Amino acid sequence: MRVFLDLAWYFKQERKKYTAGILILMAVSALTLIPPYVVGIIVDAITENRVTSAFLWRWLAVLAAIGVSSYILRYIWRIFIFGASIKLARQLRDQLYRHYLNMSFGFYQRRRTGDLMAHATNDIRAVEQTAGAGVLTLVDSVTMGGFVIAAMAFLISWELTLIALIPMPLMAYLTSRYGTMLHQRFKGAQEAFSDLNNKVQESMSGIRVTKAFGMEEKDQEDFRYRSEEVVKKNEAVARVDALFDPTISLVVGSSYLLTVVFGSVYVVSGDMTIGQLTSFTVYLGLLIWPMLAFGWFFNIVERGRASYDRIRGLLKESPDVQEAEKARAAKPEGDISVSLEKAVYPGTEEGLHHVHFHVPRGSTVGIAGRTGSGKSTLLRLLMRDMDPQEGFVMVDGTRLEEYRLDALRGAGALVPQDHFLFSQTIRENLLFASPDAGEREMKIAAEAAGIHNDIQAMPDGYETFVGERGVTLSGGQKQRLSIARALLKNPEMLFIDDALSAVDAETEAHVLAGLKKARRGRTTFITSHRMSTISHADLIIVLDDGWMTEKGTHEELMQSEGWYKWMHQAQQLSGRSEVE
Amino acid sequence: MDASGTAAFRTFGGGVKVQSLEYLKIPLKQKDTVRRLIRYMIPHRRMLLISFLLLAGGTASEIAGPLLVQHFIDNHLTERYFPLEPLLALGGFYLFLYLSSAVMNYYQSLFFQKTSLAIVREIRNDVFQSVESLGMSFFDRFNNGAIISRITNDTEQIKELYITVLAAFVQNIFFIIGVFAAMFYLSPELALWCLAVMPVLYLLIAVYHRYSSIFYAEMSEKLSGLNSRLNESIQGMPVIQQFQQERRMIDTFSRENKAHYKAWMKTMKLDGLLLRPAVDLLSIAALMAVLGFFGYQSMNGPVEIGVLYAFVNYLDRMFEPVNQIMQRLSMFQQSIVSGGRVFRLMEHEEPPPKAEPKTMKQLNGSLSFEHVSFSYDGRTSVLDDVSFSVKKGEMLAVAGPTGSGKSTIINLIERFYAPDRGTIRFDAEPLEAVPEKVLRRDVGLVLQDSFIFSGSILDNIRMYAGEADEKEVRRAAEITGADLFIQKLPDGYHHQLGERGTSLSAGEKQLLSITRTVLRKPKILILDEATASVDTESEGQIQRALESMREHMTLVVIAHRLSTIKKADTIIVLKNGSILEKGTHESLLKQKGLYEAMYSLQKMKEKADREEARRT
Repeated sequence: MRVFLDLAWYFKQERKKYTAGILILMAVSALTLIPPYVVGIIVDAITENRVTSAFLWRWLAVLAAIGVSSYILRYIWRIFIFGASIKLARQLRDQLYRHYLNMSFGFYQRRRTGDLMAHATNDIRAVEQTAGAGVLTLVDSVTMGGFVIAAMAFLISWELTLIALIPMPLMAYLTSRYGTMLHQRFKGAQEAFSDLNNKVQESMSGIRVTKAFGMEEKDQEDFRYRSEEVVKKNEAVARVDALFDPTISLVVGSSYLLTVVFGSVYVVSGDMTIGQLTSFTVYLGLLIWPMLAFGWFFNIVERGRASYDRIRGLLKESPDVQEAEKARAAKPEGDISVSLEKAVYPGTEEGLHHVHFHVPRGSTVGIAGRTGSGKSTLLRLLMRDMDPQEGFVMVDGTRLEEYRLDALRGAGALVPQDHFLFSQTIRENLLFASPDAGEREMKIAAEAAGIHNDIQAMPDGYETFVGERGVTLSGGQKQRLSIARALLKNPEMLFIDDALSAVDAETEAHVLAGLKKARRGRTTFITSHRMSTISHADLIIVLDDGWMTEKGTHEELMQSEGWYKWMHQAQQLSGRSEVE
Repeated sequence: MDASGTAAFRTFGGGVKVQSLEYLKIPLKQKDTVRRLIRYMIPHRRMLLISFLLLAGGTASEIAGPLLVQHFIDNHLTERYFPLEPLLALGGFYLFLYLSSAVMNYYQSLFFQKTSLAIVREIRNDVFQSVESLGMSFFDRFNNGAIISRITNDTEQIKELYITVLAAFVQNIFFIIGVFAAMFYLSPELALWCLAVMPVLYLLIAVYHRYSSIFYAEMSEKLSGLNSRLNESIQGMPVIQQFQQERRMIDTFSRENKAHYKAWMKTMKLDGLLLRPAVDLLSIAALMAVLGFFGYQSMNGPVEIGVLYAFVNYLDRMFEPVNQIMQRLSMFQQSIVSGGRVFRLMEHEEPPPKAEPKTMKQLNGSLSFEHVSFSYDGRTSVLDDVSFSVKKGEMLAVAGPTGSGKSTIINLIERFYAPDRGTIRFDAEPLEAVPEKVLRRDVGLVLQDSFIFSGSILDNIRMYAGEADEKEVRRAAEITGADLFIQKLPDGYHHQLGERGTSLSAGEKQLLSITRTVLRKPKILILDEATASVDTESEGQIQRALESMREHMTLVVIAHRLSTIKKADTIIVLKNGSILEKGTHESLLKQKGLYEAMYSLQKMKEKADREEARRT
């Protein structure tokens, strides 16, 4: 029930729809009471043999009028109430999506994609149910149930009403008990299914190992076992689930029996007519739905509450990186100073320590180091995807924190390691950041990134569809596409995160030359495993386990007998073997 | 590429067939899907028959209830005739009917669900098995996510078909037939009148089915578009934020969200027009017909009130099943599509390379390549006339830059792909003659990407080799040196690993997967860049492990690090799919080629490492 309070803001927002919807719903409930009454009147007239044509037509016309008006009213309340609840789903989905777009790196580290998706799908669905079916079942069970009982008690016989209702509390009790049992078992079934899901996931990603070991049969055996578990858990659900209908029909049956037995007594004693008894039993039939609705209501509202709590919890999270008051709106342009004493991920010691360097505007900075040495972390700090605990990054003498976030983002462009492309055409992907860029600019950027010729060679050229439905681009092509996309934005600061790893040496040289030309006067940061990618940089920084171990130009670093020199020579050699 | 639903084959010069997998995305036709769904029901025909009988019994007793009341009203209440015993019997019979109907309905519903679950389990197991029997080439080309979703989500949707749709259809159709039978028993004339409702109902269902399948398909298409956009946005968030495209993304999302909202509203309105409200209107019309019929009859003669009672009661009950059936029509449609996708995948044929196994107990351990050439796509040559051989107990090393064809050699040895030309021999037998079991048991593989699954360390090493006891596992781990780090973990060998072994370092994972292979005592052990991502310390361990394993097995090692392969009996250096140099460590050094250059570099690194160690 509390979920209705939590959703009060929405009911207030849509109060016209809800008020009108609920009033109409109540009117429909009232209208449903009339046909059984008419049945009683006609049956009595028939027994007393006083049916005339006019009499019959009059009552049939009443029935027809009720039928038609109920049809119209039922249609209208659906538009109001279900329409409002569907709108709520849309509103919440938009809200969540906006929220996701505002969240920073840390949030996405904590939350898994599947979880974030579940919020926007299943949870929204459950809240929508609460605002639609939940309202309907509540209103219907209260008004309809109340009306029917009132009609039975006042129009026919309150004594018989009480007698007929005797088995009903039993039904309410049993169904709510089944509900609790079902809840537990349902959870088990969901878990088993989830387990099966993980099994398939692992089997498919590990298929090479499984096949090399000839373990297919054992793997299938394991799958069958989990598949069997799903069946067992679902059978447990079925055992309870199958109880609902028989219980209800049994209770209703005994209610009918009580009604007919005691009703007959009243008929014999003259307190009641046969027509009244007939309409009483029809009323009794009308009572089944409100009883069921009441059970469903709790079910729906319970789920809605859990889901809405989850959604609210997510919406409450605020981004890790906050904008300062009175932040500078000017674009950050100029020399960059990095002075990081400590910048670690929350709750760990992983991150960067003691990294200091200065870059004049327009330089190219190469960042080298093993996997996990902190290269991407440094880029994150430069882009202000996270803030350091001690130290700062300054552009033009002003700390990043003092710039407005949109100014910062406007000045930078990232080419991520995992070359993310949208399932759209190549053109749409390239123009992602600069939708207004012209054809010529786009091709220049593609040329600079060394991908133009590849695109030209495809049958559909720039209109080629990327992703599952389209052609599969090679890793290197994807990387160069994302470089072109970033170049097209022409940012003050370009961050290339190991995005040339899948490109062969010849193409790399081409891309590097293109970059050099395109990036004149603007600052570029490149991280790489491959020394040839960064050897031309104005400044090279070597990171090891989060510490800066070497710093200088290529020539300087080749003088010292460090990791850089070794790596450079090692790769030169294997590079030579490629050319030979 | 090919969207007509048939498989497209392209044949290249080398005789390699490359089949487009596009057609797998199109579900099987409805008719074929239904036929297969029915085929799965056949083994359960006994259980299904029992369920149907129970269903018939349960429905019949439920329908008989009002008949008893009718009898009571007409023969006793109107006549004011109340003999005690027959009445008690009547009441008792009524109660008995309801009780037995409840019991029968319970078991009917339970059996139905059980059978459905069993059928879905079989479909699931079948599709999993048929997918796993496909050749490696399939997995190298088809999207993993799509396979997973077919095995789990689509089969789940089929479950809905059996449990909800089938049971509801059968039960409700049964109920309607039963009600009509009862009505005909009571008054054939009136029943005939009521039968007039049927064409109207049929029309209603047909119209609803027609439009709902369009509207619901539109809605679910919009929803899946919305969800995939959401998914993509979450994954591409750094790009979106860096390029400041939030505004535009929100606009597009809102637009699609609105389109989905509109589609949803359309289905809601359609439901409102043609589902419950319409059926309720129809039921009032039927009530009017019954009342009018009896009313007119009463003007001409006496009427049995009990019959009227029963008719009114039946009408009340008859329309609920109609509602139930109609509500499930759209679900039916979705399930058929899902089923079509599953069966399409199940029937895909892409077997691993052909083998004509001879009877053979085990491999001896020698291996040779004779003029082997291979290409994945039939165009780009990956291996070109490669020949080498390694004798039992020897160590062969393969060196060369990335993309030179080293891993392809393994794909061929493992019989994941068949060579286009040339022969691979184990001992004297060609690879095709080796039985699958022998090949998998006697050739052990350690991959570059160590695959760790969730479970304990012990489970990961055993990997279904359940017969190996902990002692054997420990011994294997001692040989590879994995024992050292395992001992340090909480719970040791029983330490639980998360998905993909996230809590271990790359080197530790690699040691685990080497141990896993060593435990199986292969005759030939292949290591594919197994030392690429491990630190110097672990590499030393692996090297020592290789030393001690050499006594027991033939080794084929592919490595960047020369320290790992220095002691090999034969080293081949690959470049662009051909052998560039071949010899022992010493002879290659004398050759002063690529190997020699790599080796001097190796020494330089050792020196740099030593100096680094001195500095810190």
